[in-house]
Amino acid sequence: MPNIVVLVKQVPDTYSERRLSDSDHTLDRDSADAVLDEINERAVEEALLIKEAQGGEVTVLSVGPDRATEAIRKALSMGADKAVHVSDPALHGSCVIQTSKVIAAAVGKVDGVDLVIAGNEATDGRSGAVPAILAELLGYPQLTHARKVVIEGTTIKVTRETDEGLTHLEASLPAVVSVGEKINEPRYPSFKGIMAAKKKPVETLTVADLGIDAGEVGLASATSTVVEAAPKPPRAAGQKVEDEGDGGAKIAEYLVGQKLI
Amino acid sequence: MATKEGTGTAQPRRDAMGTVLAALNKLASTEVLDRFGLRKPVERGLYEATRSGFTAVGAASRTFASATKQSKPKRLPSAPERGLFDLTPDEEQGMIRETVVEFAAEQIRPIAADADAKCEAPQGLLSQIQELGVTLVGVPEELGGLGTERSAVTNVLVAEALAHGDMGLAVACLAPSAVSTALVQWGDETQQSTYLPAFVGDNVPAAALTIQEPTPLFDPFKLKTKAYRTAGGFVIEGVKSLVPRANQAELFIVAADLDGRGPALFLVESGSAGVTVESEPAMGLRAAGMGRLRLDKVALPATALLGGGKADVFAECVRLSRIGWCALALGTGQAVLDYVIPYVNDRVAFGEPISHRQSVAFMVANIGIELEGMRLLTYKAASRAEQGKPYAREAALARKLCADKGMLIGNDGVQLLGGHGFVKEHPVERWYRDLRAIGLVEGIVLV
Repeated sequence: MPNIVVLVKQVPDTYSERRLSDSDHTLDRDSADAVLDEINERAVEEALLIKEAQGGEVTVLSVGPDRATEAIRKALSMGADKAVHVSDPALHGSCVIQTSKVIAAAVGKVDGVDLVIAGNEATDGRSGAVPAILAELLGYPQLTHARKVVIEGTTIKVTRETDEGLTHLEASLPAVVSVGEKINEPRYPSFKGIMAAKKKPVETLTVADLGIDAGEVGLASATSTVVEAAPKPPRAAGQKVEDEGDGGAKIAEYLVGQKLI
Repeated sequence: MATKEGTGTAQPRRDAMGTVLAALNKLASTEVLDRFGLRKPVERGLYEATRSGFTAVGAASRTFASATKQSKPKRLPSAPERGLFDLTPDEEQGMIRETVVEFAAEQIRPIAADADAKCEAPQGLLSQIQELGVTLVGVPEELGGLGTERSAVTNVLVAEALAHGDMGLAVACLAPSAVSTALVQWGDETQQSTYLPAFVGDNVPAAALTIQEPTPLFDPFKLKTKAYRTAGGFVIEGVKSLVPRANQAELFIVAADLDGRGPALFLVESGSAGVTVESEPAMGLRAAGMGRLRLDKVALPATALLGGGKADVFAECVRLSRIGWCALALGTGQAVLDYVIPYVNDRVAFGEPISHRQSVAFMVANIGIELEGMRLLTYKAASRAEQGKPYAREAALARKLCADKGMLIGNDGVQLLGGHGFVKEHPVERWYRDLRAIGLVEGIVLV
């Protein structure tokens, strides 16, 4: 009966125009619709699948402004049992290390954690580093980029998928897992789940509640800051090859010219 | 001739198929089947055998039996008064809508064309809808549902979101909810305890609220389906048209004129002797699996009468159903708008996007304007209905506007795509066919 913590993050909708604010290059949260990050839906789904098969409890953990309650509510409506929400203005502009420290402290607030499940990379910051840093801080083994997770007793087996190929990992619990796109198809919250979500407990904590000094987090003491941001230049038009019977030869010529063949 | 056929008195001429079917039907109605407990498998077989161009006895019905006695019927209380007319959905409504919007985009839209061609909603979709719990919102918690108050606005939001995916499939998905909502609104304690448990269980029965009749200038308050009181209950006779998922439905709520005094609603189980269904694909709403329901001197128990046969119950049923159709028009109308905007901006003719032409741009703008007006009227009618305020006027206005403008939007959607609008590669022709239903259909959905 594993006790699972799922990390969820509210991010600007990928379909809306995303911007950084002009003053401090942090995320301009007002400019876009906020949604539960899709990869987190998969993380929640995986936790629920484990819970449905083996029992246990699923706690959702989110660090973010007050508005992040919407993302938490969505995860709860899918079927998670309770939530921890760390919300503090002092966190504004925190870097990945600061964020991971806060998450590690918040995980410590949940009793007897066996497994922490996260998405492998959020669609906004895309550092993809939090699961690894968190595992380091917690002293747990890290099994990242999972496309398959199996728990047998106190052992966890993960099929890890990267560009290089598949790796089969095994570790003992407690552990940190990050899941990739192929792990599962997340469920739709049922109407029953939606109605039940508002009755589920959400514990709201500040950084002080976690025993962290406000000066240790936030933009002022961040280990990394965004210096400049510019929109991606539009992609240049490709080179068109007119086929006048010698199209194949021309393409081969081009590829040779680029030293590709 | 046409009117005679319309009343359902004329027997269809029998060809070879018809003769076989008649024999099969006769077999289906023999008591031998009951005696040996063979009814279910045999009837299923019949239905499969006669599926193409079917005429068959009603779907094999489960046994509906009153489980636990309630002392009195459970109704949902009115929603709290909202003071100023407020259109903002509350948090739950917002999440429900968001979920259904996502569901409709990912699960309904992609299969809509196929379901339209096959005149059938796939079973997989119907069970997904059941898992979502669409039916549960309108059933009180005490009876196993999720409802704590009347939820006409939530129902409108759900219908609208589903119809954005596809109107025909939305109707197929919502048809059982209309019956459960009617039972919650007007059923007595026996009717509720007999039928509602099935609607909150794991296997929600197909069911249909049917008012429509195959009559020109059909008036829901002047019904040709007749019911008469008998010693043991009622006998009902007539033909009902545009019955969703007719061949699967296990329970019907049928509107019939009672003793010549006006319309009333009756609960008719599909297994009753004299109940037959036949397919009746129409121009639109094809995915809903529309059929015709024939009631040939069907004997009903005294407990079959819903809402005591009161005139205001029937009038309310018609109004709530019309609000439901308005909601469906909103969804499909919005689908048209969302489809034509990128189209007219991308489609280049005479060296520029066709949206640069005023005749195109104004047409798109008008769809947007009319749609917002339709939405305001529909939400207002639903909001007043769930608060227990008078809403006859609002429902009528919404119906009139949604019927007229819905049809116009369907037409403009096809027009804006030019030649592309006419072919089946684009969904606008289906939306045009579906939107024509708004002005003529009665019953089927209920909010």
